[in-house]
Amino acid sequence: MTIATETKAKLPPSKHEFAEVIHRLEAGGAMLPDTPENLMQIIGIYKAYAVPMDFYWRDLLYIAERVFLDPFPFFKYFIPKEYLDLHNHYAGDDADLRIWRGEATAHPELLEFMEKGETFKMPKLLHHWLHDRVNMEFAEECMRSMLWHGRDMGWGLFDSYLDSDEYKANADKAIKAYFKYNPVMMALYKAFPDLFLEQCRQMSYYSNLGLFWEIMAPVFFEMSDIYDEGGFKGVPDAMNFLVNGIFAIAGRPIYHHVYIRGECYEIIPKSKGFMWLYEAALPYVEAVFYRTSPFRGTKSYNAQAKQVPDDQKDFHYGILYADVFPVGTAGIPPTLLMQDMLHFLPPYLVDYYRQHCRGENDMLIQLGITFQRSMYCVTSAVIQALRTALLYPLDDPNPKHLQANRAFFEAQINRFKRPEARLRNIQAQNYR
Amino acid sequence: MLSVLIWVPILGAALIGLWPAAIPASRARLGALVISSSLIVWTVVLLSQFDISNAGMQFSEAHPWIDTLGLDYSLGVDGLSLPLLALTALLTWTAIFSSNESVERPRLYYSLMLLVNAGVVGGFLAQNLLLFVLFYELELIPFYLLIAIWGGTSRRGYAAMKFLIYTAVSGILILAAFLGLTWLSGSSTFDYNSIITAGLPLTTQLILLTMLLVGFGIKIPLVPLHTWLPDAYVEASPPVAILLGGVMAKLGTYGLVRFGLGLFPETWALVAPGLAILGAISAVYGALTAIAQKDIKRMVAYSSIGHMGYVLLGAAAATQVSLVGAVAQMVAHGLILAILFHLVGVIETKVGTRELDVLNGLMSPVRGLPLTSALLVLGGMASAGIPGMAGFIAEILVLQGSYATFPLPTLICVVCTGLTAVYFVILLNRTCFGKLDNNTAYYPQVKFSEQVPALVLAATIFFLGIQPTWLLRWSETTTNAMVATVQLNVNHQLANAIAPTRSYEAKIQLKTPIQKELILTP
Amino acid sequence: MANIVDIAVGAGSFQTLVTAVQVAGLVDTLKSPGPFTVFAPNDDAFAKLPSGTVQTLVQNIPQLARILTFHVVSGKLMKADLAKLSSVTSVEGSPIKIDCSDGFEVKNATVIAPDIEADNGVIHVIDTVILMG
Repeated sequence: MTIATETKAKLPPSKHEFAEVIHRLEAGGAMLPDTPENLMQIIGIYKAYAVPMDFYWRDLLYIAERVFLDPFPFFKYFIPKEYLDLHNHYAGDDADLRIWRGEATAHPELLEFMEKGETFKMPKLLHHWLHDRVNMEFAEECMRSMLWHGRDMGWGLFDSYLDSDEYKANADKAIKAYFKYNPVMMALYKAFPDLFLEQCRQMSYYSNLGLFWEIMAPVFFEMSDIYDEGGFKGVPDAMNFLVNGIFAIAGRPIYHHVYIRGECYEIIPKSKGFMWLYEAALPYVEAVFYRTSPFRGTKSYNAQAKQVPDDQKDFHYGILYADVFPVGTAGIPPTLLMQDMLHFLPPYLVDYYRQHCRGENDMLIQLGITFQRSMYCVTSAVIQALRTALLYPLDDPNPKHLQANRAFFEAQINRFKRPEARLRNIQAQNYR
Repeated sequence: MLSVLIWVPILGAALIGLWPAAIPASRARLGALVISSSLIVWTVVLLSQFDISNAGMQFSEAHPWIDTLGLDYSLGVDGLSLPLLALTALLTWTAIFSSNESVERPRLYYSLMLLVNAGVVGGFLAQNLLLFVLFYELELIPFYLLIAIWGGTSRRGYAAMKFLIYTAVSGILILAAFLGLTWLSGSSTFDYNSIITAGLPLTTQLILLTMLLVGFGIKIPLVPLHTWLPDAYVEASPPVAILLGGVMAKLGTYGLVRFGLGLFPETWALVAPGLAILGAISAVYGALTAIAQKDIKRMVAYSSIGHMGYVLLGAAAATQVSLVGAVAQMVAHGLILAILFHLVGVIETKVGTRELDVLNGLMSPVRGLPLTSALLVLGGMASAGIPGMAGFIAEILVLQGSYATFPLPTLICVVCTGLTAVYFVILLNRTCFGKLDNNTAYYPQVKFSEQVPALVLAATIFFLGIQPTWLLRWSETTTNAMVATVQLNVNHQLANAIAPTRSYEAKIQLKTPIQKELILTP
Repeated sequence: MANIVDIAVGAGSFQTLVTAVQVAGLVDTLKSPGPFTVFAPNDDAFAKLPSGTVQTLVQNIPQLARILTFHVVSGKLMKADLAKLSSVTSVEGSPIKIDCSDGFEVKNATVIAPDIEADNGVIHVIDTVILMG
């Protein structure tokens, strides 16, 4: 796949308020300006993101497949060895499609961190209580976002399938098997079947997100390796790697299997034909990057005063819009992700942060803003991938096609006209 | 013993200011810190040696100086001045510590700070009226220079001049009152203890007392003599503002109690209702103007006027509880004002503004000034009289003690403590809470050393709030004795007025044995 | 006349498509009486996809089948029929936009050879693999 590096000036300049960004997208670039500083930041943060993500996807699958409806899931964040050794389908020698040249089992830096944490080696439970661990709460927040927004996003067939009779029958079988020897839960299930069904739907989203991130982790690892080898020449290169990756794995099945006493229950079978791109990636981007939900923190929202939109589709609280400055405050979920990434920053990024703002002391925010930049790059990749899939090449000779491309780009960028969007901030380097 | 508190800072100031070789700023600062620390240590020694059961002057020193003028170098300390001495020592140290390390002309600056300390301490210690005026005037010049040279904006010259003119008038009035007092009472000396006003006609006493009230009222300041204050406090750099509001203003309230109440116990009861009303007006005025402010330093400055109103109310009521409350309020006000000015100063240095409409979200834990904000919240709570902190103890005593005597002004002051909460909620809500602006909020970090003064003051405020005995024990005996003389004299006057008629009903109205005795004696 | 599959095999320029249909097990369906309208991407169209795309799909039959059935519409719709419509519904379930105003475009693909008739339907050859959304 090729993205032209320049467009012939066939269209008049865009009159959009973000015309500069539109032109950059039309030239095959990203929303993020192409500077070496930006490239270094985003790749560094991808690496720092990929390590905890390697934990997230394994644990998400573990919860979806094994913990399932456990009424007291105290140990759901304690991944058994089996899941740490689980082979990533896109890394290692036996990969379906080898995206990362590294190993298929859990990343060594992750294993090291799980062992010692920030402090020192001690029993897992103590690490857990001290919060000296990977914060799965962040992953669950993303999952809940997808569950909550799934209904009205219009992407994919996954969410509507959760309401089908077929799904209910599959879930029913699994739930009954799971609580076969637990008469209390069984009686509760009889009394409140919908409650259990809803929990099961949530488990399906655990699986969905786990399968989604299983791919993103090796993609980010590989990008980091390529960068370390001197492979990327600029931000567009990095973005194009993502675009290619999105296509290459678009067909990866999304499913939900539950293992109960050694037997596999296919709540959402692979044969439904659910795909990574449509049922996981696009809903994820919409739900997590754009929408999520307002969280309790230094700012409280008053729904009666219309500070929270009436319609879920108008929610814009995702990372592309987020105010990163309150990170570190109680009740700000991204804090957990920033904290997770802090542990795995590559040295060049640590050096970079030391030289700016408050150095070590506000690294959480500096890396948060880097993360925001990097997610603008990922979103650019999604926009370019959608353009490739649904519209026309950037060097299409037909002006009507180019006009359609521009209309598409402008429609996408219109979502960043909102005052809280950070697109304008990330154009400058002094936003950090 | 007491001379040390005056002469060490003076010598220190001379040493820092006149040292022949060049001294780097850090060295000058260190010297000033060492000197002010030694003063704290010396004050602690005094505290440990002080006999709290003795109502009179202790550690007295007396040396004849200029006999012809009746000017003696006589010092002494009692329960009224001791807490203020301790406050001065602590706040001088705080002010020096919170001074910008790279202050311009450091040698002059630190010398002046120490001179201010010497002047104020001398005022608290002086047992000779002329000596008091001398010290009272002595600290004016350093303050004028501190505001005029190290002040904030281009208005600093104006503010300093206004301050100088007002307080000079205050000094002249006080001097005139003292001169008149001495001559008219026929005393051969200006010694505090040998002046007795009892023999003077009531009108004369009233005139002299009014002069004193206006003189000290400017210094405190009382509405409507306050207009120099907002300019001076706001233009002065935070350390100077700490000394102005925390220490110098106390010279006004101290003088009011010491010389107004102490020298005119008979006439005090006549002016007290007016003073109580003035106190209430000051409290209302301070609170309402503070609510209207857009500049946090100005807000704190106006809050100071309001809180001094309580001191006046307590002093006016002159009951056992209210007077000890008034002394406690002087100390609490000094501590709270100091912590507030210090924190406002830190915020201004880091954020670059004091505008309420610009400040936002400083409580943010990573990019904001979280500890400074937390301490500011604490300072605001202390100022609003939240229980558990020194301000509460002082205010509750003043209000409780004054209610029986002046119910209406007291109730007004009670409402004003509520208003204090209003403007501090405004201040804290705008400053500490909300969102940091992503475009501008790249503030430098507050260093630990910059937090130290506020931490020390906060600890003191907490300690005195939880252990109020340590705030009150020093002054109780002295203030009780002062109250006794007032009552004694009030009754004496009453008796004089009543005696000629020999009215039987009048005797019945007076109930306490002491009063009966008084009526019967003549 | 031959059926849709036979025509595609015989044409020689649909090797990827034919392989995919075989892997997905859709041969029998496409040989059934139908009738169907097939938008058939040629080998060049598949080659335009980023590397790995086809590989992943071939590994996952149901997903591959879903993409393929998106290229099939039930009923025999000639270009002239399609020109009257703005969109048709694919067997996969998602709509396919049709634009005959200027040439003959199916979604973002251009029809390079319309109206190849078979026993059980019609084939329109397109230059781009079309995707849902």
